[in-house]
Amino acid sequence: MDQSMQATIDERVAVIQAIKEELIRRLNLPYKPEDLHEDVSLFGAGLGLDSLDALEVVLCVENCFGIRIPDNNIAILRSINTLADYVLEHKAKQGGAA
Amino acid sequence: MRISALRDLLSQQGASFKERFGVEVPSVISDLKTEYHAIRDHVGITDFSSMQKFRITAERGVDFLENLFPGNVAKIRFCRVLHTFLSDENGNLIADCYIANNDEDFIVLCDSVVDDATLKALMNKYGAQEFGLEDITATHVVFSVDGYKAWAVVKELCGADVLGLPYLSVETYRFEEAPFSLFRAGKTSEFGYLILATKDMGPKLLAKLIALAQKNEGGLCGTTIHDTLRLEGRFFNIFAEGLSVKDPLALGLQWMIDFDKEVFIGRDPIVTRREKGLTHKIIGVKAESALEDLKAGAFIFHEGKQVAQVQAACFSYGLNAWIGLALFPVAIAYPYLSFNLEKPDGLTIATIAMPPIMPKSLTVKLDEL
Repeated sequence: MDQSMQATIDERVAVIQAIKEELIRRLNLPYKPEDLHEDVSLFGAGLGLDSLDALEVVLCVENCFGIRIPDNNIAILRSINTLADYVLEHKAKQGGAA
Repeated sequence: MRISALRDLLSQQGASFKERFGVEVPSVISDLKTEYHAIRDHVGITDFSSMQKFRITAERGVDFLENLFPGNVAKIRFCRVLHTFLSDENGNLIADCYIANNDEDFIVLCDSVVDDATLKALMNKYGAQEFGLEDITATHVVFSVDGYKAWAVVKELCGADVLGLPYLSVETYRFEEAPFSLFRAGKTSEFGYLILATKDMGPKLLAKLIALAQKNEGGLCGTTIHDTLRLEGRFFNIFAEGLSVKDPLALGLQWMIDFDKEVFIGRDPIVTRREKGLTHKIIGVKAESALEDLKAGAFIFHEGKQVAQVQAACFSYGLNAWIGLALFPVAIAYPYLSFNLEKPDGLTIATIAMPPIMPKSLTVKLDEL
């Protein structure tokens, strides 16, 4: 595997692992991090979280990464992968600005 | 082969049929693109009477169902629905199931990759007859109402209180004095409902639903377009990736399993695989070019080596591109990586985060209906 692909994977793995561990802890989910597929829907079908849990998901990202999720942005909250996309995009922007 | 109770009515509407595991299903009614837009933009009615359907009293049902399914049946609250699966004794998937706690009984709806006799034999082996499981497959029909205007159709049929039904719930309503069960459920990522009614009610009820759908610029759809809708919405499809991969863990269905349960069919092999750790898992892929054809079974290459295989694929009308699900080694099962299709220097495909579309139903407000 070339270094660029490995770097892309490593960066994502770190973010995903932190999100999974924090979600399990905050929401008391009966799973191990490796049980949570990154594409599984967080609300409705899938993990079946509700509107009260949404606040915990938002706080999870804010506390882990210091990044605020805009109000009413449903697209970001759809799965662990969409949360990771948002975090990585935000980090890239911060890196670019620095 | 089991024939749909509504075959004549569906034929009159232009349906073509196909056989799927011993059941005749309406495949396409008009054409796939029209049916796709009916559901994504308006509302579509589909005959899912092909599902296997069972009923058991609440009193005796919990013990029986708990021994079969990996989901926790004992924890299903009144008027709620559990989405889980049924596996064989090797822990391989055989059915995608809804279990509803509906007043005095449990209702089980199954999309399965075995015929009626095989499924019934499995249930009998675990005491179906002793527990009084009633097979209502032949006596009942199932219709789905899907689409961002599905609420408008169901509201007109059942009344305004349907707007308050949470996802995965069940309620009893009446049509011309006769009761039917309404499930708030669906696998398209748009608003969705399933209607379970007696076969006698079927023709009139289906005609009414079609009329209401047409009033909302939708219409009757076949089952084939649901393969595309499920894939776009990243809903598990037992008839696509479920059939080829079989392992619920590689498919990311851990959320359907209560790992604290000590008994369900296939538990030991599933738990053993979980303890060993996953070697492969399924993720989304997308062809770079709209002209590029992505087919289930195609191999995926990286640096000259075959690394993965496409398990399900469809043309996404929403993205104007071919998308699919492929089984990758876990070390490289991440989105936004590039690979080659079919051969080491084949066309480029990329892994993607699923679901790749934003359905209208997630953005619409009730007063817009």
